[in-house]
Amino acid sequence: MKLYRIARFATVAGVLAASLATVSAEAHGIWFAQRAKQLALIYGIGADDLEMVKRLPQVEKIEAYDADYHPIKATARVSGPVVLIDSDAQPTVVAAVMPYGIWSRVGTGEFEKKTLKEMPNATVSTHNIKYAVAIVGPLSKPLAALPGQTVQIVPAGPIPTTLGTPLKYVVLYNGKPVAGAKVINDMVNDPDAKEVETGADGSVTLPVRNQGLNVIRAVYVGPTDQPELYRQVEHTATLAFTLAHAPE
Amino acid sequence: MKKSLLTALACLSAAALSTWAMAHGITKPQHGGVVQMNGETMFELVAQPAGVSLYMIDEDEPVNATAMTAKLSVTAKGKRSDVAMVPLKGNRFFAKGLKLAKGANVGVQVADKASGARYGATFIIK
Repeated sequence: MKLYRIARFATVAGVLAASLATVSAEAHGIWFAQRAKQLALIYGIGADDLEMVKRLPQVEKIEAYDADYHPIKATARVSGPVVLIDSDAQPTVVAAVMPYGIWSRVGTGEFEKKTLKEMPNATVSTHNIKYAVAIVGPLSKPLAALPGQTVQIVPAGPIPTTLGTPLKYVVLYNGKPVAGAKVINDMVNDPDAKEVETGADGSVTLPVRNQGLNVIRAVYVGPTDQPELYRQVEHTATLAFTLAHAPE
Repeated sequence: MKKSLLTALACLSAAALSTWAMAHGITKPQHGGVVQMNGETMFELVAQPAGVSLYMIDEDEPVNATAMTAKLSVTAKGKRSDVAMVPLKGNRFFAKGLKLAKGANVGVQVADKASGARYGATFIIK
């Protein structure tokens, strides 16, 4: 009888842990990229460069930083279908945060934009938050944990100059390395790549994929901070940087 | 017929390749300074006894400095100084009296007065 109870408890706990650990409501993210020489904030996945302008009201924070990671004033500017970032000085790093709502579903049904209060029988209920950091100038010191970036990918060494070179990344959660974050190497050109989990030291090492724009993505599912509304927080963070092409 | 079609295609692709290779125009310093590219725009920074000059060339065409604003952001020893540059004749901007220390991180940002477009490049002074 006792063994049966233990086995039953283990099964329930296992199912619960699996659902918490693996359910990802939304693979899309935000990242920075160049548009007509200017810096733009993009929402999408793969080649899907989706409507950022209509999502701009959801963007909570846009920041730029100089080479010492002191803040530079930055604002978003709509230019046609593109959201451009205007900073008061040439930045070294830019960052953004976009909360993306609470999503719930029952079983394998479709996710709906509802809280646990609105869908009390939900088996998954998640608050999604998107983060983006881009390195746009040469780094003179290791990339710092930036304010507001609850989950952030930082390179653990200098950005190489040639594609194919291994680069170690550390995924930070509240400024500290976190194990179990799921990372892909190129959200734009290889969005369906097998995710690699960060190890106990929060790191993964991947070859730099492109002699151009690289957008690394990490997804980390953390605990809820409002259990009456959702059961987990899904943090989707990107790190973008470019490798220069050969001189012409 | 097939041969002439192949020849025409070969010429066409060679022309396309050569056009691509030339797409960024001038990439070499024109005033003895150091150069950074942002796509097809070349920024040339020249340290002079009286100050610092910036020259801009966009796809082989000198940019009219009076149609732009330019700012240098110099970060050194943990401090950033933003310096507005004065547009001069042609494609030259000037920051009078500015000295750039070795190792300084110098961000150049320009803004097009008409379109509002802002872009730039960063130099590390050697």
